[in-house]
Amino acid sequence: MRLPRIFRTTPFRLTLLFLALFTAAASLFLAYIYIATAGEATRRTDQDIRREMRSLVGVYDRAGVDAINQSLIERASSEKPFLYLLLTRDGRRISGSIEQSPVENFAGKPAWTTFQVTDIDAQGHPVKHPARGLQQKLSGGEVLFVGADAGEDEAYVTKIVHALQAAGLLVILLGLAGGVLVSRNVSRSMVSLIDVVERVRNGETGVRAHVRGARDEFDELAQGVNDMLDRLERSMAGHKHAGDAIAHDLRSPLTRLRARLEAAYIDVEAGKGNAEEALAQALDDTDGVLKTFGAVLSIARLQAAGQAPNPVIFDPAELAADISELYEPFCEEKDLEYASEITRDLSIRGNREFLAQALANLLDNAVKYTPAGGAIMLRVRRRSSGEVEFSVTDTGPGVPDEDRDRVIQRFVRLENSRNQPGAGLGLSLVAAVAEAHGGRLELSEGPGKVGEMGPGLRVAFILPRP
Amino acid sequence: MRILIVEDDLEAADAMARGLTEAGHECTRGADGQEGLTAARDGAFDVMVVDRMMPRMDGIQLVETLRREGDRTPVLFLSALGEVGDRVDGLQAGADDYLVKPYAFPELIARIQALARRHDTGSVQTLLKVGDLEMDLIGRSVQRAGKSVDLQPREFQLLEFLMRHAGQSVTRTMLLEKVWHYHFDPQTNVIDVHISRLRSKIDKGFDRPMLQTVRGAGYRLDA
Repeated sequence: MRLPRIFRTTPFRLTLLFLALFTAAASLFLAYIYIATAGEATRRTDQDIRREMRSLVGVYDRAGVDAINQSLIERASSEKPFLYLLLTRDGRRISGSIEQSPVENFAGKPAWTTFQVTDIDAQGHPVKHPARGLQQKLSGGEVLFVGADAGEDEAYVTKIVHALQAAGLLVILLGLAGGVLVSRNVSRSMVSLIDVVERVRNGETGVRAHVRGARDEFDELAQGVNDMLDRLERSMAGHKHAGDAIAHDLRSPLTRLRARLEAAYIDVEAGKGNAEEALAQALDDTDGVLKTFGAVLSIARLQAAGQAPNPVIFDPAELAADISELYEPFCEEKDLEYASEITRDLSIRGNREFLAQALANLLDNAVKYTPAGGAIMLRVRRRSSGEVEFSVTDTGPGVPDEDRDRVIQRFVRLENSRNQPGAGLGLSLVAAVAEAHGGRLELSEGPGKVGEMGPGLRVAFILPRP
Repeated sequence: MRILIVEDDLEAADAMARGLTEAGHECTRGADGQEGLTAARDGAFDVMVVDRMMPRMDGIQLVETLRREGDRTPVLFLSALGEVGDRVDGLQAGADDYLVKPYAFPELIARIQALARRHDTGSVQTLLKVGDLEMDLIGRSVQRAGKSVDLQPREFQLLEFLMRHAGQSVTRTMLLEKVWHYHFDPQTNVIDVHISRLRSKIDKGFDRPMLQTVRGAGYRLDA
């Protein structure tokens, strides 16, 4: 038979384990209490008996059997008399308050015994009391027994034992109840998480675990699961978006390519026109399509992975110097003034190749949009926040404030730059690289308007501290 | 040059073999990794062009097997996978160069020639000589017809690469990869400017220019 779910939960099992440990500890503790109280009572009775015995033995040693008898008579009239029995050397009763010794097989050595005495209570009913007794041989050969009713002490002990039993039971019941409560509570949190996992497994999207706001480990777990799901769904959406984007943005150049080839084919078939030029043009178009395809693929992969592959820690100054070395002559050739301002000895963590490509794309863009006579500047610096910022500033026409977000979006190219070559993917790829490194892009106005130039664009590529 | 083409896309292999044959090379083909391995064990080839993803035995396994058997024939990997990690995997398996599909034919030829050339220079050279151009790799100096040419460090590396592949076309992508160690295509032709600067330093004042532009391919340094 399967136990109800609540009894199969981990917290309940743990509760049982703790309960067992706690019961063991409580038992030890109760045993100590028992020994310290009930044991103490018995010891006190025994001590009294021993003292009485010593006193009687003293009387006997000084004055013999008659003196003992006299003494017993006196003592029997006291408020709480001991039980006495005096026997001859061969065991016959001489005198005493009880008929028969409770000690069996007396061998001559002092012997302790626990026995029962019967008493008559106030209502006339016989009541049995537990009692303790000591029997020993006197120097003349007679045998003396001294006993004491342990009744009151015993009642006290019984009370303690009952109290201890009740306490033990309470401990177990409270423990079990607590276990059930804790398990219920824990398993309610777990069940809701398990439910979320189950629904996600069945392909549901948008399911999120409930965060109760208790800031405990369940909330942490639920938050973790939610973050993971967010990330997965974003990645899935990214894939889907990449697919759509590829379809959308490759279709038009491919259509153009097909039309061009078709026109060339018709011309050649009709015997007028030269295939060579059309083919050369088609090759160029194909290269363009491939470049777009490569960029889309890189963006999609970066967005899907959510992080840059093979990251290493390195000095951004080296990277910036390398890229400057590649682009500076190129800028001069285009009659653009190139300057760089590079802070040394910083460190960043990332994929060198992708970061190099991002910087190259930023510089490509700057070169593309800045008219001759303009200037381009590459800066690497540490922000006060500890982040490392690469920035490329140009003196081109810039990007209007309201369009800045849009330029980062994939494939968006501003209306007035349609006549410039390029797939319009540059900044989107840079943005994807920044995001994959946990960083971001910030676009702002360049140095402002100077004559025909400006106001320019400043693109900051910001990486978190490693 | 004897070239082994191991490629499961028969049409692509056809086009490649036709182009290479026209360029004066002798081509043998293997339609998958297993065939490629058998062919490679049989014949002595100058260069092998190996597709990465193939049935039966993929390119990585093929190259690893050959390298384990002590075959040092230069291998050019062809692959549709172009990410950094993929390229590193290919090179670690023992390939000598890596070309991402689709590629321009001049790029393929240039790389095949570069590989073959690299293979047959057995001894270490300290002095490179192409025509009247001389490069001292230890003294880090360059002379043309006895006249000293002053080069920046990167220009020196660029010229060294061109001299080592003198008479062959080298593409812009190859230069960016081998001289600058970048594996992406810039949207602009940044390399051209570096070439023209180098050209002005080694060809200026001489009747015969050595550094040629090859239309549709890249550049070539002629003796």
